[in-house]
Amino acid sequence: MRPSTRRVLIAAGVAAIAMLAGVAHAATGFPAKDIAFIIPDGPGGGFDLDVRAIAPAMEKYLPSKVNIVPTNVPGAAGTRAAIEIYRAKPDGYTIGIFNIPGIYLQQQRGGAGFDLTRLSWLGRVGIDNYGLAVGESSPIRSVADLQALSQTRPVKFTSTGPAGTAYNATLIAANLLDIKAQLITGYRGSSDYVVGAIRGDGDAVITVIPTLRRMAEGKTLRIIADFEERASVSGAEDAVALGKPELAQIVLDRLIAAPPGLPEEIRAILAGALVRALADSQVIAWAKETDSTISPESSDQAAATLRSQIEFYDKWKPFLNPKR
Amino acid sequence: MLDVWLSGLQGILQVRELLFLALGMVIGLLFGAIPGLGGSTALALLMPFTYGLESFAALALSGGVMGAVPMGGSISAILLNAPGTAPSAATCLDGYPLARQGKAGLAIGAAASANSVGGIIGTVTVLAVLPIAKRLVLLFGPPEFFLLAVLGLVVVATTSRGKLLRGLITGGFGLMVAFIGYDDITGDVRFTLGIPYLWDGVHLVPALIGLFAVAEMIDLSIRGGSVAREAGNVRITRTLSGVLATFRHWRTVLRGSIIGTVVGAIPGVGGVVASFLSYSLTVQASRDPESFGKGNIEGVIAPEAAINAKDGSALIPTLAFGIPGGAEMAVFLGILVLHGMQPGPMMLIQHQPEIYGLIWALTAACILASFIGLLFVRPLALVTLVPAEILVPVITCIALVGSFAVDASIENTVVTAVFGVLGYIMIRFDYPRLTIVIALVLGATAERNFHQAMLMADGSWSIFVTRTISLILLAGIAALPCLPILRARLRRGRGSGPVSAGDQR
Repeated sequence: MRPSTRRVLIAAGVAAIAMLAGVAHAATGFPAKDIAFIIPDGPGGGFDLDVRAIAPAMEKYLPSKVNIVPTNVPGAAGTRAAIEIYRAKPDGYTIGIFNIPGIYLQQQRGGAGFDLTRLSWLGRVGIDNYGLAVGESSPIRSVADLQALSQTRPVKFTSTGPAGTAYNATLIAANLLDIKAQLITGYRGSSDYVVGAIRGDGDAVITVIPTLRRMAEGKTLRIIADFEERASVSGAEDAVALGKPELAQIVLDRLIAAPPGLPEEIRAILAGALVRALADSQVIAWAKETDSTISPESSDQAAATLRSQIEFYDKWKPFLNPKR
Repeated sequence: MLDVWLSGLQGILQVRELLFLALGMVIGLLFGAIPGLGGSTALALLMPFTYGLESFAALALSGGVMGAVPMGGSISAILLNAPGTAPSAATCLDGYPLARQGKAGLAIGAAASANSVGGIIGTVTVLAVLPIAKRLVLLFGPPEFFLLAVLGLVVVATTSRGKLLRGLITGGFGLMVAFIGYDDITGDVRFTLGIPYLWDGVHLVPALIGLFAVAEMIDLSIRGGSVAREAGNVRITRTLSGVLATFRHWRTVLRGSIIGTVVGAIPGVGGVVASFLSYSLTVQASRDPESFGKGNIEGVIAPEAAINAKDGSALIPTLAFGIPGGAEMAVFLGILVLHGMQPGPMMLIQHQPEIYGLIWALTAACILASFIGLLFVRPLALVTLVPAEILVPVITCIALVGSFAVDASIENTVVTAVFGVLGYIMIRFDYPRLTIVIALVLGATAERNFHQAMLMADGSWSIFVTRTISLILLAGIAALPCLPILRARLRRGRGSGPVSAGDQR
């Protein structure tokens, strides 16, 4: 969790942005028609639900009454949606949600057809931390056990394919923890590979905490490490206890952006509506009910978050993409 | 146990919930009947609307949609050879030939009753196994998935008797097409020609719409006339004998329902496999396999029973672990989450009344949708008399728009067009389409799970024989090709010739 001072600052910023937005609307007449909110997933996925929960609240805080239409553009590990947003007209009528670092990893591999650093960032919806878990019946009880196992043979982690966010998180975390890892890849989504670990396809699994927590509640999975600086899962070792503070940098940010070159006035209107929507009581109630982490950031902070993620993953690039 | 079942039923048996169920059913029938739309599109469109509803009402609405979609899908499969949903492609194989013979009423009647019976058997099975669902799902890992896929391929290969070589050619081609795309295991990109769309492979639904609907429209426009032109007179009134046919062929219904239930419970295999497997095994078991594909009523009953039986059991992996069996279940998962029901091991404990309510809603929708289908047989069947000049452009438009609508990409329509031409060539030169479909569906599953099994076992093949279920599946794969030979021996031993399969008049 982030310090609460940030929340206070954001709250203070909201009023200022709202005022700016009002002025901006008078100048631009934005929005005059429906806004497409692009989702890099099919209906029903995590990003899809975020957008469907936020969009109605955002509509309330726009200076004129238009619809924000959740638009699913699944495919090619998020690349299709990213390209669509990147190439759209920067008029504010196309915005989208991004999986960071997931989509950056596509850009890093080259030839992706978009440049995240050029997008007009509007803010952040939430952030998820990662953790490490084993099946409930596994003999492994701690990270030390995994390290010991790794002395005899590579530890098997279940994961998505090389384009997946969890795949790269697993490689980095295992490396930081001095665990020799072998990945069993190709699972269709986070629930799928977590079940793989429960079933015993592999020894352990690394993914975002909410997914792990859900399975752990049903006594099918045991979370042995929580990569936050201070663990939110009881009984799990955290990044500090493990002596690897860098682990806390492995996170999944859900950021919102518009195409490059969005006029400043329109950016202010959209970013303002987003920040206020994320503080809306309905959205907060929804997040609580569904165990989603809402941790808003302003547009400047989101851009900074992107930069720090890029810096982190660029550092790991030679390790993640060794020349074959 | 009984009180939970009843509390679920009670939750659904409220005026408001029943209204939502009926609404869902009508939407499901409509969306099911239009190729390319299907349950996932219907649920995705309804999703924001369910946001404001209470959970039982939302479940009744979604249950109504999911229970009715298969019936809608089979109506267009039978009447126009245009499978409304992917699993109903199997119904085309014999349903459409029946429609061409002017027996659309018979086929729809049989489909409707097989639908209901399959749905009921599926529900009963799910109610029985739900308490042990968690363990059941965990029994199947990558080695088992791989062998299941191989089993599916073998079943279908052995079905195309008489056309074995042609079946193998189209099956092999289907596999090659299935291997197009981004390989999740190695990170390699295969045969994508630099087109981002192909990263996810050739999408199944657009390909099926092409293979069946568009191919048929090309054929029809060349032949001229109407779908049931050769029939002379169209006997729509035989609906009742169609309904009764299901009960006469109770073995086929039972087989289909069991296959549907089992396949449905295995995550990630999906309805297409259920319906095609049921169809193939029915052909295998039949004493008159040659009559299939030419309008054998059992060829309609078998897939229909499986499709509906699968719906109930597909809930097991979805609810217990959040692993959706298909696109429709993925959207439904989203609706559950919107209503604060996070699928996972706790779901089966925390939300029992809702789960049972949903199962009841599904079953009720499936039975009621069959009745509605029967009510409208007469006007619907008239479609088979519409002249080609009118029917072809209308259906081609719907097919292409539907294909586009799957995920709003224009590339889908290109896939549909290409597979349409391919499908026509296959009709023209008498190549079986069954094998290409099953290869398209199972190719990627087989490959991925084989890779995973090898990763699990450090490249040792022993993993396929050291796990009980794998071993059973292996034995099944080895035994299947021997079955027809064995049966032929037995029959010769008895000295009796093949008996006609009933409704082949």
